Amino acid sequence: MTDPLLDVDDVYQSYGEESVLEGISFEMERQDVKVLVGPSGSGKSTMLRCINRLTDIDDGDIRLDGNSIFEMDANDLRRQVGMVFQDFNLFAHLTALENVTLGLKRVLDMGERKAVEKAAWQLEQVGLREQANSYPAELSGGQKQRVGIARALAMDPKLMLFDEPTSALDPELIGEVLSVMRELAEEGMTMLVVTHEMGFAKQAATDVLFLDEGKLVEQGPPEQIFENPEHDRTAAFLSRLTQLHGGQ
Amino acid sequence: MDPTSLVLQTGLGDWEFVWRQRQFFVNGTILAVKLTFFSMVLGFALGLPAGVVEAYGGKYSKGVVRPLGVVVRGTPILVIISLTYFAGGISPAFTAATIALGVRSAAYQSQIFRGAIESVESGQMEAARAVGLSKLGAIRHVVLPQALRRSVPGFQNEFTIVLKDTSIAYAIGVAELLKRSYDLFSIQTTAALEVFLAASLIYFVLTFTVNRGIEQLHDYVAIPGGNH
Repeated sequence: MTDPLLDVDDVYQSYGEESVLEGISFEMERQDVKVLVGPSGSGKSTMLRCINRLTDIDDGDIRLDGNSIFEMDANDLRRQVGMVFQDFNLFAHLTALENVTLGLKRVLDMGERKAVEKAAWQLEQVGLREQANSYPAELSGGQKQRVGIARALAMDPKLMLFDEPTSALDPELIGEVLSVMRELAEEGMTMLVVTHEMGFAKQAATDVLFLDEGKLVEQGPPEQIFENPEHDRTAAFLSRLTQLHGGQ
Repeated sequence: MDPTSLVLQTGLGDWEFVWRQRQFFVNGTILAVKLTFFSMVLGFALGLPAGVVEAYGGKYSKGVVRPLGVVVRGTPILVIISLTYFAGGISPAFTAATIALGVRSAAYQSQIFRGAIESVESGQMEAARAVGLSKLGAIRHVVLPQALRRSVPGFQNEFTIVLKDTSIAYAIGVAELLKRSYDLFSIQTTAALEVFLAASLIYFVLTFTVNRGIEQLHDYVAIPGGNH
């Protein structure tokens, strides 16, 4: 039996006195798409940030391909785990293309020509061939986020983390980002997604994980979580969310 | 003869005096420019790393750099320049003046850069780290290119201050522009106003042109679509 791609094992995390994660455990197999949902402050974003070590944990372990991420070089780890941010965080002084080539050149030591070729291809995949030479300030929110996705994908990560990728977008721009994410899921990318987009969860997720107050309340395939949740808390939260963010 | 023409004549005579001494002014100007240039370069070479340390350094590196800056910024330039030359025993005087002005400028430039670095959104550093860049790599390729653009207005100020403060070098006998003006004034005491006006005009032309140049550079490197 092979190791799961990601094994989150009894993780505790706190900021000072305030406990954020209290014993979270779950696994991800290759090609899994798991959606983390939960009220704000439940620890979803913190969970993601622990996986690429942007945040340290207090106790427990996280393994990637069977190896503890805390025994790996942090930069090595991050090279294998792509991250997409709520606020895009595109490098403001670089064009869309340069945003993608920076990691290729400076982290993977790729030559200029190869890096540009790869970045251009990656931008084309997210529908931004025309915008390759635009600067972030010249792009719409949806375009920025697609550059953010291309930037992470270009590094050929084993796992992609999405931290509320559509929360900062105007409603009419959410669709273009979700459709890129759905394509990615269909291509077999392993994805862990924090989102309130229940439509995406229903269509693309293999599992939905419900987090509340730092604990994993329950997890299961979307049909089960949406239609027959074990816990009342899950049912109440999801029905509110579905009213707000649609279930289609 | 009416009084106006008398004043005019005297005035003209003193402007003529200034004009005759033009080579003397030019040499002083060249010295002031050299002093400013080398001091600014030294200030940048020390001030930029100091600013980075103040923004991102650990407990120990900050613990060294910060108090040093506080002390230098809190010491009058006349004291720094005298200490460098007389107590430090650094000669020639031009070198001592360059070091004194450069170190003092570094202390100020470090704050310009620290402020600019801290104004770059923390998400930029985070995204750079998330791609796999080291902290230094992220500073170099992501934070500094943005911070340096934002530090231009502060840098312009600093340049203007350093240029005019080069006159302090007269205290250790460096014959820059203002020192020469004093010398000229003592040769022809009636020409005081003219001599100092001429010196001021030179300072003004220098700051004006260089500031314009820096502004052009600022526009040239501005990020398209951005607001700085």
